[in-house]
Amino acid sequence: MMDSLRAALDAALDTGGDFAEIFLEDNRTHNLQMLGGRVELINSNRAHGAGVRVFNGLNAIYAYTNETDREGLLRCARQAASAVSAQKTSRACAQTFVVPVLSTPFPILEPPSQTDTHKKLDYLRMADAAARAVSPEIEQVSCTISDGEQDVTIANSEGLYVEDKRVRTRLACLAVASDGQEKQQGFEGPGAGMGYELFSSRVDPTQVGRDAAKTAHLMLHAPVCPAGVMPVVIDNAFGGVIFHEACGHGLEATSVAFGTSVFCDKLGQKIAADCVTAVDDGTMPYEWGSLRVDDEGMVTTRLVLIENGVLKNYMIDKLNARRMGMPPTGSGRRQSYQNAPTSRMRNTYIAAGTDDESEMIATMGNGLYAKKLGGGSVDTATGSFNFAVSEGYLVKDGKIVSPVRGASLIGKGAEILLKIDRVGRNMTMAQGLCGSLSGNVPVNIGQPMIRVTQMTVGGRA
Amino acid sequence: MKIDEFIQKLFQAAKAAGFSVAEAYLIEDESFKAMATNQEITEYASNATRGLGLRAMLGGRMGYASTEAFDDAAINWLIGGARDSATLCEDTDEALIYDGRESVLALPLTGEDAPAEVKLAFALELERQAKAYDPRVTHVGYNIVITGRTNVRIVNTYGLDKQYGESVCGAYLMPVAHEGDSTATGFELRFARNFTDLDASALGRAAAKRAVDALHASPVTSGCYRVVILNLAMTDLLEAFSPAFSAENVQKELSLLKGKLGQTIAADCVTIVDDPLRTEGFASHPFDAEGVPCTRHTVVENGVFRTFLHNLKTARKDGVASTGNASKAGYAGSVRVSPTNFYLEPGTLGFDELLKRLGDGLVITEVDGLHAGADAVSGDFSLLSKGYTVKNGQRVRPVEQITVAGNFFELLKNIEVVGSDLRFPSGGFGSPSVDVGTLSVAGKDTDADA
Repeated sequence: MMDSLRAALDAALDTGGDFAEIFLEDNRTHNLQMLGGRVELINSNRAHGAGVRVFNGLNAIYAYTNETDREGLLRCARQAASAVSAQKTSRACAQTFVVPVLSTPFPILEPPSQTDTHKKLDYLRMADAAARAVSPEIEQVSCTISDGEQDVTIANSEGLYVEDKRVRTRLACLAVASDGQEKQQGFEGPGAGMGYELFSSRVDPTQVGRDAAKTAHLMLHAPVCPAGVMPVVIDNAFGGVIFHEACGHGLEATSVAFGTSVFCDKLGQKIAADCVTAVDDGTMPYEWGSLRVDDEGMVTTRLVLIENGVLKNYMIDKLNARRMGMPPTGSGRRQSYQNAPTSRMRNTYIAAGTDDESEMIATMGNGLYAKKLGGGSVDTATGSFNFAVSEGYLVKDGKIVSPVRGASLIGKGAEILLKIDRVGRNMTMAQGLCGSLSGNVPVNIGQPMIRVTQMTVGGRA
Repeated sequence: MKIDEFIQKLFQAAKAAGFSVAEAYLIEDESFKAMATNQEITEYASNATRGLGLRAMLGGRMGYASTEAFDDAAINWLIGGARDSATLCEDTDEALIYDGRESVLALPLTGEDAPAEVKLAFALELERQAKAYDPRVTHVGYNIVITGRTNVRIVNTYGLDKQYGESVCGAYLMPVAHEGDSTATGFELRFARNFTDLDASALGRAAAKRAVDALHASPVTSGCYRVVILNLAMTDLLEAFSPAFSAENVQKELSLLKGKLGQTIAADCVTIVDDPLRTEGFASHPFDAEGVPCTRHTVVENGVFRTFLHNLKTARKDGVASTGNASKAGYAGSVRVSPTNFYLEPGTLGFDELLKRLGDGLVITEVDGLHAGADAVSGDFSLLSKGYTVKNGQRVRPVEQITVAGNFFELLKNIEVVGSDLRFPSGGFGSPSVDVGTLSVAGKDTDADA
């Protein structure tokens, strides 16, 4: 195999490229879905292929194929090379591979491929039963387990050769509550970079089902959130999506290197309130967004993005490192061999602070307590973001008075970061799939409870 | 091994493993993508891939598995996966493999591609055109050209073997305009069958205009406003709530339209059509993901709800015929239900006349965050929006950082007029601009306005 890879890297450099890389992947995924208490679908998928990338200065060529034998790789490499139009007399060649010894900090105890399907289904049944037990108004419950074992081999013309296995397992539960007229939903989706020991060490399926159903039930009977500008307290775990969208995407080299981020040229400057320290960490054992090596073969890092309000680092991949004249940060990621890698987040969170959570609400006056957030999105050029509040509460005179539904939060990242005036003590994380230029990648988002002095809350006037 | 040989071996193995019927769903793709940044080609990708999804019946239950590898190990993987899946599934609704053998309707879904150097030049030209439109356009994101060719083939042990080819060319860009401390982005995306039908100048300038027009936008005061939703934004809303029209979602208790067939669910002026045979659409196909021939359906006719969209399984359960809306997300997906070219039929009033009729109010040109802020189950939406204010039928100033909230099913009933400017911005979904009556808007506080 190593010999084929070297030959393919050489072929990729044949027309004058100065760097070549091959990403070889075999990914077995298993999806099990239960709907209304019955196993509805079980699907096994095997993705298999290789992507060849060639750099010519700042130009990048990418080609991929399903044919990963020597001939297939060579064909793919030649196809990539044919798109390079370098005006060079001397030619780079692939260096001898040096195989690094990677530490194995987190062994997998129950690999998905060796876990009996019946056992997987039992976890689904537990979540389903717990959700339906919450209330007779829980009309529908959909539970899904997805697991994957992704084997990758990454080799490049600088002599890098690395193999890695990424194992991930996730349970998701969607509950729908209905009173015959209206419907509301609740969702929970915990996962980790581990096998089925997930359910003995971290995640109780019963709790997952119950929490999803409780949100749906609560929102069914909640009045619609009023619209307006108000202080907002955002709880921990998935609340961290606010940092992910409002700031994280704007710190990725994909927008910084092209001058299209509001955070360009701000290193060393104050971009957030003093109480804000934010980290992107690919090294956390067993976390959903962790990697031993990134998808460019670099050992991942812990990167402080913002320290006490001051911008410290961007997240940088290999190609954008050239554009920016800065070193890569182990942040190169891709959904599969069908995507060229680029800078992406891993486990991104606002670090724990020192503020008291109950004081935050007690002193906020009139506003919104957003206990759970749904997804969101951002325009990195303007920093304009939006999120859905999937479980919210109206606060009056510092007291929680009523659950409210249908709220959304909007704002601009650069402004919001400066308006955070409280950061709580208990940082927790939640799991998501983040979509961007190189496809969907698993990421953790997280924060302790925080307070923003003023946000526009979308609801009905 | 060659695909035909692989399928033959797979079917033999399925038979030997006790499967009564098997189907192979094969997708072969060729794609090209190029991106220009600062007048250089910064990304270039060209690929060919294929994948195969197996569906097979064992003991009356359907099993699923898929692969991108085509060796003997892949056959074992598929058979093992499908056996596991069929044996452990408890779904009692009967999934079916289509036994029809109609010949395939010839739909003209392919066009002329262009040589790579023409496409690279086009990506560079997009950026030049956007910047030339106005000096305030300082960056242009993406400048991406994509072209692709797909072949879809369904083969099953009943003897069905049909396929169709499709090709598409597309381009998009996101110009960023700056002036003072204001930054605004624009976006345009176009698809065509023939590459020569794409116009870099028109695309680049339209995107740049949207960015420049949005400079110095600010929120309006929170409150209720009379609203016209522009065709692009209305298309996004229609797409976000289209799952409610799927019989699959009804049967799963995930649609509020359950039991509403034959009832008035929208204003008289609302007619919604699903037309897979509309050749200028980009969700067109002659047969669906189960091999069932596609036909045009009026889903909502003058406000009256006429049909859900079905695949074979949902149709069997409801005792009706499939509408030919079976879908798969790629070769690996299970069979679901999706619309094809799904659109609101245009009325007669032009956009300017809609504004005249509106008098004073808001035009919403863009809604964001639909995957989070629009709930297809409840119909509720609360969406970050952009647009402009209208006074006496005239555009006044751009608006941003507002949310527009409501309920889609109420909105359908409140539609006052449907415009004539039907557009399909990014694929199968389409809509004209629509006067939706009054919606709730969150912007700035009243006092901050003073």
